[in-house]
Amino acid sequence: MRVALFTTCLAEALAPRSLQATVLVLEHFGVTPEVPAEQTCCGQPLLSNGLPEEAATLARRMCVIFRAFDAVVTPSGSCCAIVRERFADLFVHGSDDHRDALALAARTFELVEFLETQLRVAVPTTSAPSPECDPSMTCHDACHLRGIHRHGCTAPFLTAFGCRDVRPLPDMAQCCGFGGMFSTQFPEVSSALGQEKLAHVATTGASTLVVSDTGCGAHLAGLAHRQRADNNSAAAFRIISPAEALAHRLGLLAMESIA
Amino acid sequence: MNELIAPTLPYDMMPRARAAIADVHLQQFVGRATHLKDEQRKSVFGADFGHDDYELLRSVAATTKQQALDQLDVLLEQFIERAQAHGSIVHAAVDAAQACAIALSIAAQHEAKYAVKATRCVKSKSMLTEEIGLVDALTRAGIETVETDLGEFILQIDNDAPSHIVTPMIHKDRAAAARSFVRVLGSRYTEDPEELTAIARAHMRGLYRHAHIGVSGANFLLAEEGTAVICTNEGNFDLSVGGPPVHIMFVGIEKLLRGARDLAPFLKLLARSGTGQPLTVYTSFVNGPRRAGESNGPKELHIVLVDAGRTGILGSSKRELLRCIRCGACLNACPVYRKVGGHSYGSVYSGPIGAVLTPELNRGAARAEGLANYPDLPRASSLCGACLEACPVKIDIPKFLLHARAELRTRTLSPASESRALRLWRWLAQRPMLFRLAIRASRLHARMLGQNDGRHAWISNAPGPAAGWTQSRDLGIASAQPFRAWFVQHAAERDAPPKEAAR
Repeated sequence: MRVALFTTCLAEALAPRSLQATVLVLEHFGVTPEVPAEQTCCGQPLLSNGLPEEAATLARRMCVIFRAFDAVVTPSGSCCAIVRERFADLFVHGSDDHRDALALAARTFELVEFLETQLRVAVPTTSAPSPECDPSMTCHDACHLRGIHRHGCTAPFLTAFGCRDVRPLPDMAQCCGFGGMFSTQFPEVSSALGQEKLAHVATTGASTLVVSDTGCGAHLAGLAHRQRADNNSAAAFRIISPAEALAHRLGLLAMESIA
Repeated sequence: MNELIAPTLPYDMMPRARAAIADVHLQQFVGRATHLKDEQRKSVFGADFGHDDYELLRSVAATTKQQALDQLDVLLEQFIERAQAHGSIVHAAVDAAQACAIALSIAAQHEAKYAVKATRCVKSKSMLTEEIGLVDALTRAGIETVETDLGEFILQIDNDAPSHIVTPMIHKDRAAAARSFVRVLGSRYTEDPEELTAIARAHMRGLYRHAHIGVSGANFLLAEEGTAVICTNEGNFDLSVGGPPVHIMFVGIEKLLRGARDLAPFLKLLARSGTGQPLTVYTSFVNGPRRAGESNGPKELHIVLVDAGRTGILGSSKRELLRCIRCGACLNACPVYRKVGGHSYGSVYSGPIGAVLTPELNRGAARAEGLANYPDLPRASSLCGACLEACPVKIDIPKFLLHARAELRTRTLSPASESRALRLWRWLAQRPMLFRLAIRASRLHARMLGQNDGRHAWISNAPGPAAGWTQSRDLGIASAQPFRAWFVQHAAERDAPPKEAAR
């Protein structure tokens, strides 16, 4: 099986560790991912901001770049959902492009989903290499995972995967307020939602927040960093991707201390 | 009409949104109520149907309503014929002005028929009457019109406006109601809900008896039976239709169903979606005016079928929007609504459905003004999809938000600087070498400017399009090695034959 890593532009720019972790986790389970060099952006910012024709040109690129692969895996929930849910509608139904988009949608998976539903990986039999690698965690799933029926799946998977202390996040269903360019167009609304999310995270007392989308993670991390700059006593926790949580648990990647 | 739901156009939502976010009471009331209703909705559907049957029910309702819309012309004719056969008088109004004019002309005939001038009206809750500004029109004509839904009544005496489709005074609490009752009705101050209800009831019972005209909306029209179905929790509809000699019912043409045989899924969904109740307390079926030998009911029943922009939507790619049964579930589920409240939408319909419906209903004759008047509404969404998930008739609201954003872009109603930046992004994204260079350059630039804590370079004052980001958050650029560089190294090590074995 040829598997491609769909890196996403945002993760390349902001969260390279989540991509490293994805590669290491896949390799741990016997999959050797390739990284097609020409991939750039899937077009989500264009699609979400009223430029569907422009988005279609990038969607078409994606179909070409990933054509030779049996599966396309990404750690970013929302980019995955865009390919799955919205690509096909960018093209005339019945056209070759439309068929290609549907085919790509059928082969594209978010990492946790891929491990759970495609590879059906076994739970690691050994415990985490050190307690630090299996910290207290709580999960916030990217809202776009709703569309592919994977919203709320990360926490149960991590628990099933042998992470010992995964705590329920109150009101997980509510958006963190990121929303792509929404976060810069309506910063007050976006931040108010983000602060509410951070407050819920703080009530769990978990040391680690697992966020299944790079953008949501960057938004929450940026808010938390500003909060701590304004108020030293604000709760401190690290924000990582599910890929990193798994790589830590398997001892494939060293855990970073909380800043 | 109240400026809150009929503001000066074009409407800029940010001033009200900012005020709402800063209003601790509003945050508390709206946040608490929406979360509660949303939880109740989920738990009642889970308990009563389970996931699969709930999904099936939604699909059935979506298909049924869509099929009704697809043959609306036929159903309308059928409904009119059957309703007339029951003795109802059916009117058609193209727009708000005509709908109000019909009401006024009915009122004007009152004196000739009943030997008394129509000066008092009791009104049951109806979003459509808000839409057409009926209360103002009646009041201007000297007809004192009282809202009989408790929430709407409190808003009316406060000169306030509904901020939610189902729970209109979601932005207020009991204490506010208590103060208004003391002020307007002269009652004793109490926050006890039963006492407050009793005060309102004592006030209203007299009004029903002495009203000349009753006004209401309807939730469904059954074409095969010529029947209107009205769902309420307070019984105020039944009193407003039972007391006054004349009743006028205002109904949007999208409310038609084929007949009673199609009604069940909607009754199962409406109250559960809106308030988590299995059914509304009252589900009233109105077949026509009082018949010979009947002891109550209006002598005249007028049904005003209102278009007000609906056929325009029906003829567009957005006809799915007309499936909406006004349950309010998408408002309760929406993170943005929860933060900014209903009045921030500057329209009768707020929340996700309002964001897509308001510009469409306000397109006007030229079919162009709607988005120009409400350019913020489709943009003020994080596209989280909670609305679609909550919608009992599966309206793909996020999809329509995207369509509206595209129209804003083609009609240059969204900022040009944004369009330029996005098009530049597309240009770069088609050139992988340049694209990666640009990402690397901006990472380097950011790391030079930012405060480095070893893990990230943090920027707290970004220029240009990123300024909105750093207004309230920092931007963290990971200091880790760029992924591609790491991967090249990693793949080389991974794919190299083990040295021992090679020897």
